[in-house]
Amino acid sequence: MTIAFKPNESFRPPFDYSNSDAGILRFPFPFVSDAYMYSVNLEPHVRGGPTEAFCAVFDVDEHYIAECRERELVLRQDPNRCMVLPHMLSAQWDAVELIMESLATDYPDLFSLERDGDRWTWTNRPLQIRDSFVFGEADTLPCPPFEYITRQAQGDFTLQDQRDGDLFMDGGMVTTQADWSLAFDLGMSFHEWHGPVPLAHEAGVFDRALQYLLRLSHGKPVRRLNWTLTVNPRLDTSPENYPNWGPDKTTVTAENVGEKLHVRVELQTLFRLPRSNAILFGIRAYLASFSELVRVPKWGRRLHRVLRDLPPELIAYKGLSRYYSTAVDYLAPFDDGVATTMGIAPESALREAWT
Amino acid sequence: MTAHTPLNPMPLTLRVRAIETLSPSLKRLTLVSADGAALPPPPPGSHLTLALPLDGAQTRSYSIVSPANDRAAYGLIVRRAERSRGGSAYIHQRLAVGDRLKSAVPTSQFHLHSLARKHVLIGGGVGLTPLLSFLHDLRVQGRPVELHQICRADEADAFRQILEPFAGHAIHLHTGRTRLDLQAILGGQPLGAHLYICGPEPLTAAVRAAAADVGWPAGAVHHESFGASGGAPFTVRLARSGRDIAVGEDETLLEALEAAGANPPALCRGGACGECITVVLDGAPDHRDHFLSSDDRASGRLVMPCVSRAKTALLTLDL
Amino acid sequence: MNDQGIKSRPSYRLLSLDPTGRRHLLLSDGTAVGAFADDTTLQDFDERWTISDLGEAHPGGDHQARDLTFGAEPQLLADLDRRLKTEQIGLRLYAIGTEPFLWRVMAVAAEAGMGRDEVRLFAGRLGPRRVYCIHCGVIADGVVANVATCPGCGAALFVRDHFSRRLNAFAGVKVDAEVPGDLPAVEILYA
Repeated sequence: MTIAFKPNESFRPPFDYSNSDAGILRFPFPFVSDAYMYSVNLEPHVRGGPTEAFCAVFDVDEHYIAECRERELVLRQDPNRCMVLPHMLSAQWDAVELIMESLATDYPDLFSLERDGDRWTWTNRPLQIRDSFVFGEADTLPCPPFEYITRQAQGDFTLQDQRDGDLFMDGGMVTTQADWSLAFDLGMSFHEWHGPVPLAHEAGVFDRALQYLLRLSHGKPVRRLNWTLTVNPRLDTSPENYPNWGPDKTTVTAENVGEKLHVRVELQTLFRLPRSNAILFGIRAYLASFSELVRVPKWGRRLHRVLRDLPPELIAYKGLSRYYSTAVDYLAPFDDGVATTMGIAPESALREAWT
Repeated sequence: MTAHTPLNPMPLTLRVRAIETLSPSLKRLTLVSADGAALPPPPPGSHLTLALPLDGAQTRSYSIVSPANDRAAYGLIVRRAERSRGGSAYIHQRLAVGDRLKSAVPTSQFHLHSLARKHVLIGGGVGLTPLLSFLHDLRVQGRPVELHQICRADEADAFRQILEPFAGHAIHLHTGRTRLDLQAILGGQPLGAHLYICGPEPLTAAVRAAAADVGWPAGAVHHESFGASGGAPFTVRLARSGRDIAVGEDETLLEALEAAGANPPALCRGGACGECITVVLDGAPDHRDHFLSSDDRASGRLVMPCVSRAKTALLTLDL
Repeated sequence: MNDQGIKSRPSYRLLSLDPTGRRHLLLSDGTAVGAFADDTTLQDFDERWTISDLGEAHPGGDHQARDLTFGAEPQLLADLDRRLKTEQIGLRLYAIGTEPFLWRVMAVAAEAGMGRDEVRLFAGRLGPRRVYCIHCGVIADGVVANVATCPGCGAALFVRDHFSRRLNAFAGVKVDAEVPGDLPAVEILYA
């Protein structure tokens, strides 16, 4: 498969980002029905599903090169966006192995991994990288193992240490997050990291999620989708840089909401790592603007219905208050009341973009 | 080993490359990939579940003794059990070099604690096997370890040979019936030490009691049970067929069910994988597994027949 | 400012002896009373270390005394650090005081290899707070209000209820990031 990369996209002012038609159709639309309900919604992370975004273990799309460059920019400004506690070295190597093996298997035209015992050679053609190193010897790589490989993958990653009947967030590469701080949260237990969720009906959700994840088996990864809205195609919506992106929320108008407001979907994947028994948590952010998404008739209808009927606590919890009514008003003309099919697949071709 | 469909519980085909007799009761197996491909790395403390051609296809699990970074071969040490349930008898008497065996991917329920300052390992008999993989891992990382292996006099030479690669004053072999001074071993350990026990139930119970006596926090004591069969006899009632089956003191609940023709799904037969989970309708289970959450255990609504038994004389299952 | 309702901070229970331990060392910064459960008194602890500006500076080295008094917290923590490096399994630590003191004790204990189940903490008061500025990483001490000025970058920070044990501080995020100058009323919450 050949991917037409868009290497010069920009996720910070001046913004330069869009999805190709194919990019829109493969977007992991997060709503399976017209009524949104928060749930744990974990499913096996198998290759395949209603969206092409599920076809690889770690999805590589047209934004790959641009996102890797954006990560480099974030890290140059703030190296503490990648930190791993000292006792997680074995987990770092587990992550290197998993990501390299998966990328080489899923995208043989783009990546290759040659192994002779512990002597490995990794080739990343899109980024023009070719490195030979000794697996297990950190000084044979140009930077620590986890940082090395996550600089070459889209999305954020954390390393969770399993001990004392709990999961501790003991490492992470976090440059594309929706508003949480690696520097602050590093070392937190599962409940400390998630914090008691304010919505009453979610009490117990994190208890069950933790028990489930403690039993996650090697070779049986799981995934789920999470969603929010982002103003402008920003990947870095970190609390550290909140003064940069916070004001964007006040700039949404009826004229620009279609282009400015983006649905931000996180494809969250969880893998048990073999040697360390740690869990690799992948948090892959996808962005598509409202004007792109409404080109899929089913998605235009559903997005309107979901947002229109969103409970007030969720509107506040997801930080949508400032532009909420503008967003719903924009979507209303795309909802003709026709019934939609269950599931997230687009079900039709794109209609032309509205000008 | 990620995200491939469909799910196959025995995806590996192994070939027996070597069988070494260590003693009349102990053999070491070396298993390689039948097609020469690299094997999945075995996590420290992991076990390998093999399909053995016993009466009907049955599985048996053995701890992997080889290092976690060795992807060329898996090493197992199998003791011939006095009352073998078939597995060790087959391996000792009928398995031959060149034979092929299907297996699951190695998995571990027995893990080293990532923050431990020192690891104290106590093994009894063939319970040493998962501790050997720990020794490899700790030695590679240069982390402090102290090992005490308890064994029968007739196996002492074999265990001495097995432990030879790790020889040093932190490795101690205790043979015969001399009483181990557990309080002395456990009482002087530094803050941050963690204790790992693997062996027969009486040894595990004695070590855990001694550890508690000298004030070890519960979270620093880890154990893996070996040979879970054995306990007071009881009756299991199959609610759907209305049959009552006697479970003897030397057989597991799962074995009694299989012998009577009821065949719940089972895989690791060690209480770790969850495959044999069965609903309990009446009676109190005696949980000996590593899989159920404490909530599930407390509710008494589920049991894992491969290792667990009953506290009541009658246990009714939804089978 | 929308805090998203983040509430994740430690809760503390009245102290009682851990029956699984064999030696029990109590540390106090002298600020708290009423820290014990009904079945527990000061006499139940094998050793008691206190900070008191009425006491003499601890001479150091005498680890057999039941009661030691320190003139200042750094001395107590330094002695604790030295002591724990020679200690064995079976010790349990207990600490009473302000929240920042408790988590400094925990940090020394963790450095020596002790786990959370070997240390029990009780906070007499839940304030003032240390606040970590998410934007520049500087920590402000002695915060009593819902909004604090960061001593590092000058930002007006909303003091969240999210606590990091590792940093021993609550998260502070710029309260007027979306509309600069739009500040909420100041309330004294953590005195």
